[in-house]
Amino acid sequence: MSGALRQMVTCHWTARRIQRYLDADPSAPLTPGEVTRLEEHVATCARCSEVMRQHRLLHGALSLWSGRRPVDPATVDRMRTVLDDLIEGRQA
Amino acid sequence: MSETSAPDDVGRRRAFAEVVEPEIEVMLRVARSITGSAADAEDLVQESLVRAFRAIDRFDGRHPRAWLLTIVRNTNSNMHRRRRPIAVDDWELIHASRPAFGATVSPAAEESYVDQELEGALHDAIVGLDPRFRSALVLVDLHDLSYAEAAAVLDVPVGTVMSRLSRARERVRKALGPTFTTTRGEQS
Repeated sequence: MSGALRQMVTCHWTARRIQRYLDADPSAPLTPGEVTRLEEHVATCARCSEVMRQHRLLHGALSLWSGRRPVDPATVDRMRTVLDDLIEGRQA
Repeated sequence: MSETSAPDDVGRRRAFAEVVEPEIEVMLRVARSITGSAADAEDLVQESLVRAFRAIDRFDGRHPRAWLLTIVRNTNSNMHRRRRPIAVDDWELIHASRPAFGATVSPAAEESYVDQELEGALHDAIVGLDPRFRSALVLVDLHDLSYAEAAAVLDVPVGTVMSRLSRARERVRKALGPTFTTTRGEQS
């Protein structure tokens, strides 16, 4: 396999795993070998590095978005009261 | 409120409280996304807590958040007899978020970038998503649910959540376009 073709195959392989790599979700973990291969490729591939940067930038933007604000603490307190009533047998 | 037939054992009641109490806030956030209203979300979570309490004997002790969110989803379906899949449109959340842009006090460089460059664009990109894709994005990226927890809310396989999330993110990135892809966002 030529170097260019190998690079293209690895870019495709990497693109399919970047989300799982960044999310690190327990439902879809990468193997240690996959992590190593991905990190080594991204370190040397400008295109995949840029894709990774964009993923991180979007994640950062969403994490700063005000839509993530917590719910009203008073509402949480009312639900805690409901829970207390349930476990104390006061909820009919 | 439904009548409760609850576990009698004191230990079980305490265990129930220990499992549920840390999840109340995320239940409320997800319920707000499902119902689109804070008031309806409170009603939904209250009813869900009752149903969870009655079903505690059937809980296997694993993945309490996913278990509770499944109850929230099913309770919502029962309360509203919805025939369509849950969309998690979350219009209240999305629209309520807009005025907060620019309100950051002493923002870090990245926050400043979000305020100045992405105001409106991010909102428009998310609103413009197909509801199925937006649901996955809202649950995972805004509510910080795991794939499995989002799958429980949406009643779809984990793989479907991953696929929808990938498409949602890709479409948001494309919708944001050059503003997002230039190096201005790398100030931090």
